[in-house]
Amino acid sequence: MNIIELKNIYFEYEEGEPVLNGLDLSLGAGECLLVLGDNGSGKTTLFRVLNGLSFPSKGEYLFKGVAITADYLKDNSQTKRFHKDIGYLFQNTDTMLFNSRVYDEVAFGPRQMGLTDSEVDQRVMDCLRLFDIEALKEKVPYHLSGGQKKMVALASIMALSPEVLVLDEPFAGLDQKREASLLEFLAELKAAGKTLIIATHKEEMFKDLVDKVIRL
Amino acid sequence: MLPEWMTKTEDYAPPKDGGAFYRKTLKSLGGIMKRLKVEGGKEGRFSLPAWLKIILLLGLIILVSVVQDRLIIMACGALVLVRLAMMPAGDIWGVLKTTIFAGVFCAVLVTPAVIMDPARLSNSLRLVLKVMICVTAVGEFNRTTQWNHVTGALRKFHVPGVIIFIMDITFRYIVLLGKLMEELLTAVELRSVGRNDKKYASVGGIMGVTFLRGSEMNKEMYEAMQCRGFTDDYEGL
Amino acid sequence: MHIPENYLSPATCAVMTAAMVPVWVHSVKKVKEELPKDKIAMVGVGAAFSFLGMMFNVPLVGGTTGHAVGGTLIALLFGPEAACLGVSIALLLQALIFGDGGILSFGANCFNMAFILPFVGYGVYKLIAGKAAQEGKSGRLYVAAAIGSYVGICLAALACSIEFGIQPMIAHDAAGNALYCPYGLSIAIPAMMIPHMAVAGVIEAVFTVAIYAFVRKTSPDMTYDSIRLANPKVESKKSRTPVFALVAVLIAATPLGLLATGTAWGEWGADEIAEIAETGSPLGYTPKGMLEGFSLDVLMPDYTLGEMNEVVAYILSAIIGTALLVIIFKLLSMALRGKSAKNAA
Repeated sequence: MNIIELKNIYFEYEEGEPVLNGLDLSLGAGECLLVLGDNGSGKTTLFRVLNGLSFPSKGEYLFKGVAITADYLKDNSQTKRFHKDIGYLFQNTDTMLFNSRVYDEVAFGPRQMGLTDSEVDQRVMDCLRLFDIEALKEKVPYHLSGGQKKMVALASIMALSPEVLVLDEPFAGLDQKREASLLEFLAELKAAGKTLIIATHKEEMFKDLVDKVIRL
Repeated sequence: MLPEWMTKTEDYAPPKDGGAFYRKTLKSLGGIMKRLKVEGGKEGRFSLPAWLKIILLLGLIILVSVVQDRLIIMACGALVLVRLAMMPAGDIWGVLKTTIFAGVFCAVLVTPAVIMDPARLSNSLRLVLKVMICVTAVGEFNRTTQWNHVTGALRKFHVPGVIIFIMDITFRYIVLLGKLMEELLTAVELRSVGRNDKKYASVGGIMGVTFLRGSEMNKEMYEAMQCRGFTDDYEGL
Repeated sequence: MHIPENYLSPATCAVMTAAMVPVWVHSVKKVKEELPKDKIAMVGVGAAFSFLGMMFNVPLVGGTTGHAVGGTLIALLFGPEAACLGVSIALLLQALIFGDGGILSFGANCFNMAFILPFVGYGVYKLIAGKAAQEGKSGRLYVAAAIGSYVGICLAALACSIEFGIQPMIAHDAAGNALYCPYGLSIAIPAMMIPHMAVAGVIEAVFTVAIYAFVRKTSPDMTYDSIRLANPKVESKKSRTPVFALVAVLIAATPLGLLATGTAWGEWGADEIAEIAETGSPLGYTPKGMLEGFSLDVLMPDYTLGEMNEVVAYILSAIIGTALLVIIFKLLSMALRGKSAKNAA
């Protein structure tokens, strides 16, 4: 079964040009999609639709076979389940961090899932290790550098263990070392059967990873 | 190497309750941001200068609230309605929504007083009417006047430059910090996948980050102003 | 707590605005003295912050939410004088752009929310906190912030209810019926105070402490306490805030009392108070309408249409009618268009 299915999606803002015009798309588990397009071509809009933050003016969006609509997301527990299953790394990762400690930032999601304290701690420490930011554990996220913030944001998403990961320009502002390790992480994730959706201007970097490409 | 739990597919059943307040805040914030964008101004070609509109608005409000004579209040009501009728339908509805809300609110408020003493009915009705006229007038004013023209008008009234500078800055920061708050709230909402026992900490975090970012932006703006030759002369701005 | 247009008499509005003038002047002076030049625009940040803070739904027990005013918080972050200016500007924007709070009642709203709230809140905070900031006792600071913001908003609500409550006394028609807010002190005070003490005050305290704690934890150098500590010039000037606040309250309260044309302020006779307690109607209106029965006369007691110039009244009615028709027509066609657009899609 396809995990994500978009059928003839249209989206227009109240004022201005429509940004999505009859978009069709289907993605299975373990597939990687690259979204290309100039600034303002609707990448962020598409990502908002995929995450249930905006709803298309026309067309249908199925996630694991369920139509994601405003009505569906009125139910709190359905919403929470949906948000747990899909992770979204904003283009501007600065605005994703709101805790006073890196540890708390990463633990924010797992703490809500009814896990025991030691399970939460394990998840958090695993994630910090995964992105090589253990040393920042006690630091204030607000004062970190751009690249560090991006890693913390990614760790706090991965702590929820989503099935689908949506990344908006994940390489912007990263140094080469971090770029390489992030790419390696994405490859492992894909191998584990998780679905990746990536907006990027650096198409060539993903040539070993990509299954599908759309240009908006 | 991925930790083992991350490679599995989890079957997660979230709790049913809680978590709606981020969405509520997002909604009210979104509404405000949208209005700020629209309210930025739709001035018609034959729009009066803003300073004249301010004087007229103030005059009307003072007149309506001082006068008890029905004929004059009725005339003010007519004036406000005629102006409203000249506006496009979308704007009419926007203005009327506020008017109706204010009217109903006021009516509910005075109802117990009227029940206690029916002799108060006529004064109470007049009060409701006055409230509605004033709210409509303000609504018409802000839907037809651009914000920068309002500050321009205040300059004409010899309001000190510092105050106008601060007002302009405030307006800009509301938009900038509002956007930041929207994103932060969205981020919190997306990661709120269950029961949050520390809601207040996230409230503190969102507003705290907003404050810190605001202070930082302020510093950057001052430095940018200095780079462009600003010499602490707020009156000359 | 935003007082809309027409709930207060113009005289009250004028007095309250006059009472704010010295406060504003003092605040501008103090801010200019205290804040370095590069921080002037910080007042704008404070105003924006205050404006946005009021959008925030703070969760309470049982899934209910409410919004805070945040006056004390802004005083804790920016200093009470900057808070006063910031909140005033936020209130002005709300009145001008969103019709939240009246334009004539702007002075009264400022008095309650930009003056009483931050100054009292900050005063109480200082009183309880003492030297805790220098000694690094965060716990005591948070308790002080909680109590300060609670007391601040409750006193602001009290001031607001007094402004409402004196309206029937100072503004009524020949028949003794209120022209503006119809409720006397005996109703206005409990009606405002109970919800504020039970709900709004708690929200305010929680909101204040949550954000104050976050800022202290992440950037302790950004609070007003640290700005004062870092700037000995400011610190050397003894804080006169609580005294100043008290004086201004008295200044404002005195002319309000003088304006009361009924019984003088605070000098009700025992029988009058008894009557308030019994009937719930302040300073005893005779329930004339009740005795005479409810008749159509009540609708237009002394200004009947007959007294008006009928021709003018007719013309006005015609104008109002036409305007209403145009408005209804426009709205209807908008609604229809919206529907057909949806159907087409």
